[in-house]
Amino acid sequence: MRGPGRLQAESRLWGYLFLLGLLALWEVLARAEMVNTLLFPRVSLILTYLGKLLTAGDILAQVAISLARSLSAYLIAALFAISLGIVMGYYRVVYEVVEPFMEMLRPMPIVALIPVIILFLGLGWQMKVFIIFLACVWPILLNTIDGVRGIDAVLVHTARTLGASPMQLLRYVILPAALPVIVTGLRISVATSLILMVISEMIGGMNGIGFFILNAQRKMRVLDMFAGIIILGGIGYLFNFLFRLASNRLIHWHLGMTRLTRR
Amino acid sequence: MPLLEVRNLRHTYRDAKRGDVLAIRDLSFSVNQGEFISLVGPSGCGKTTMLMCLAGLLRPSQGVVLLDGQAVAGPPDNLILVFQEYNKSLMPWRTVLQNISFGLEIKKLTFPEGNRHHLERLLKVVGLSDFAGRYPWELSGGMQQRVAIARALACKPEILLMDEPFGSVDAQMRFELEDSLLMLWQEFAITILFVTHDIDEAIYLSDRVLVSGRRPSEIVEERAVGLRRPRDQVRTRSHPEFVEHRTRIYEMMRTFSEQSPA
Amino acid sequence: MRKLWVYLLRTLLFALCVAAWELGARGNPELTEFFPPLSLIFPTAVQSIAQGELPRHLGSSLATFLKAYALAAFIGLTGGVLLGRWRWLFHLFEPPIELLRPLPTPAMIPIAILIFGIDESMRIAITVYACTWPILLNTIDGVRGAEPVLIHTAHTFGASERQLLLKVILRAASPQMVTGLRISLGIALILVVTSEMIAAVDGIGFYILETARNFEVAEMFGAVLVLALLGYLLNKTFVSLEGRAMAWYYGSKKREAR
Ligand SMILES: Nc1ncnc2c1ncn2[C@@H]1O[C@H](COP(=O)(O)OP(=O)(O)O)[C@@H](O)[C@H]1O
Ligand SMILES: [Mg+2]
Repeated sequence: MRGPGRLQAESRLWGYLFLLGLLALWEVLARAEMVNTLLFPRVSLILTYLGKLLTAGDILAQVAISLARSLSAYLIAALFAISLGIVMGYYRVVYEVVEPFMEMLRPMPIVALIPVIILFLGLGWQMKVFIIFLACVWPILLNTIDGVRGIDAVLVHTARTLGASPMQLLRYVILPAALPVIVTGLRISVATSLILMVISEMIGGMNGIGFFILNAQRKMRVLDMFAGIIILGGIGYLFNFLFRLASNRLIHWHLGMTRLTRR
Repeated sequence: MPLLEVRNLRHTYRDAKRGDVLAIRDLSFSVNQGEFISLVGPSGCGKTTMLMCLAGLLRPSQGVVLLDGQAVAGPPDNLILVFQEYNKSLMPWRTVLQNISFGLEIKKLTFPEGNRHHLERLLKVVGLSDFAGRYPWELSGGMQQRVAIARALACKPEILLMDEPFGSVDAQMRFELEDSLLMLWQEFAITILFVTHDIDEAIYLSDRVLVSGRRPSEIVEERAVGLRRPRDQVRTRSHPEFVEHRTRIYEMMRTFSEQSPA
Repeated sequence: MRKLWVYLLRTLLFALCVAAWELGARGNPELTEFFPPLSLIFPTAVQSIAQGELPRHLGSSLATFLKAYALAAFIGLTGGVLLGRWRWLFHLFEPPIELLRPLPTPAMIPIAILIFGIDESMRIAITVYACTWPILLNTIDGVRGAEPVLIHTAHTFGASERQLLLKVILRAASPQMVTGLRISLGIALILVVTSEMIAAVDGIGFYILETARNFEVAEMFGAVLVLALLGYLLNKTFVSLEGRAMAWYYGSKKREAR
């Protein structure tokens, strides 16, 4: 039988304590030399090292390089995929012609193309931007198509009878109506861009945060490695956060509506 | 001894954000064996809350519910609640027949004539023989509701609690469902506590009607309905006694709605 | 009529792509080293399959893939049910999950190498790590999102916790579980290939990278095409199985949409 619910804040507090406990356990085990400290140095050591690394600033240059790559690739992919997706979503013929090709290409693991693209574009930024672009296109494209195809026909007809021109239709009906679904694709691609950024830098890189982490491991500079991973986690967190902020503004009407209908 | 007895039931929803909600203030009544009894009250007055307490799904803040003299502390064995949202209470991954046999599986019941036979007979009674292999989402709302009722009847409970079961079907279907429910009630010789916001429906179906005002629930009126059975949608509803009950209940509800609750 | 047009256009588009590749490669012989014509790739691919080099690497990758995927499915589904069912457990694990979740999974590869060295166990470990996330999170969502009316229904019929779990919650959560499993399919393939490229001496990822380094471009393209085919087949199989097992779900969704 359901009783009165326990306070949520309280149980979340336990969660944070649990997390601290885990970290403390790591610290204690490392201090007692019960784990190999060459591989797993004390948490406190990692954190102080991270502080030093950040204040020295060299790492920030690596981060900047990586972010420039992933952001530019992401933006190009978004622009490309949304435009293509709207065309494919709106014109059924285009969709029907291209769909089988997409279905064949989509399950292809993009990483397998890295060596191929290295052959054509070399080891520089072009290769990485292109790889990230390729991977980011899919979620945005598929969601845009879904979003546009899912628009209620009544909405389009209404705009038409009101005399909307094709551009107005696009701007005032199709884009906003499909936006919630497009935003889903955009969100998935944020994570994808970071993943492919790291992978491409690990496989074919000489700089960037992904390369930094793998290289640190190869040279057994474990502190560098852990610090790099924490920084990367921070970037991931920041990206998610910023994206949520932006998308909440972009589609606040949709969030409000779904909250209402769910009640 | 009454089959079901509710004593000084009170329930408050604890809600840190929107503030506590007193859904039931002080509810006492009893239901006799074999009776068809209805509780009418406006939407949001706490009817569902009360049924959840009676069915042992929600622990009331205060008061007791006695079933066969035993205090209800969890879902009792011989009582089944039919939910208002029948479309959500049916399992979309089970066919109609599989849905109806859910209770038998859970309670591990076996019937002398064979479970399969028992269920098929039940399907016939509710007029769904041709839909045994269909999925609930392939059926209309009225049919879905009949599946939900058949599922409850399949395990032969002593008492059935029904939460506005016909709230969202059209008028024609509603009449049909009401009549089939009365038929089932007699055929299965069970006790039914029926909750609705529709005054006419309550009078038409019941031996006794309890009336609740606005939230928080309290019984403001109780009327015994002496209308002859079997009842008839046209004749019963135009009978002077029916009209008198309706007028009286309507007046009561209006009075208790006007003096806004504190 | 319309169908015919679509079909024609499709064929035309396909022929155009193939012809562009073939003619582009033949027209620029100086590029053949990077960009062999398709007519050269196929025989080479067939040859490398016949010689047993490609099948060996593919087999190794598939073995890694299957072990990792099965393990991730087990961890993700069980963990998801536990965390989804027990609120306190969820709250306990929420902060660590929130901490780890935004980290791009390949960043864990170096740690995996530290712990497991560079043999198959490392590749399995990192693939399991990456694949578990979508399965776990989707399962938690599915279990927590199980319709409350359905749970109350099970209770009013006197279901025990075990019956509730087996007969209602697992079934109600199965669409999300399957979604997690489907997402993980692609992720598993990516992580297997990535980890093979970074630290391995066999597997299709290793083979692709190695042939590219040695400028055996036809072999490389052959392997890429085989991998694409594998991804396609895996996905296709999964989707068709899913379509059958989840027919009730798609049916009820369609009804709801009306
Ligand atoms: N879980 C809950 N938490 C807080 N308030 C609730 C909850 N469930 C119902 N209520 C409130 O309690 C009152 C009675 O609800 P309910 O019993 O569903 O009424 P009825 O079934 O008569 O329409 C309503 O005002 C409703 O908003
Ligand atoms: Mg209600």
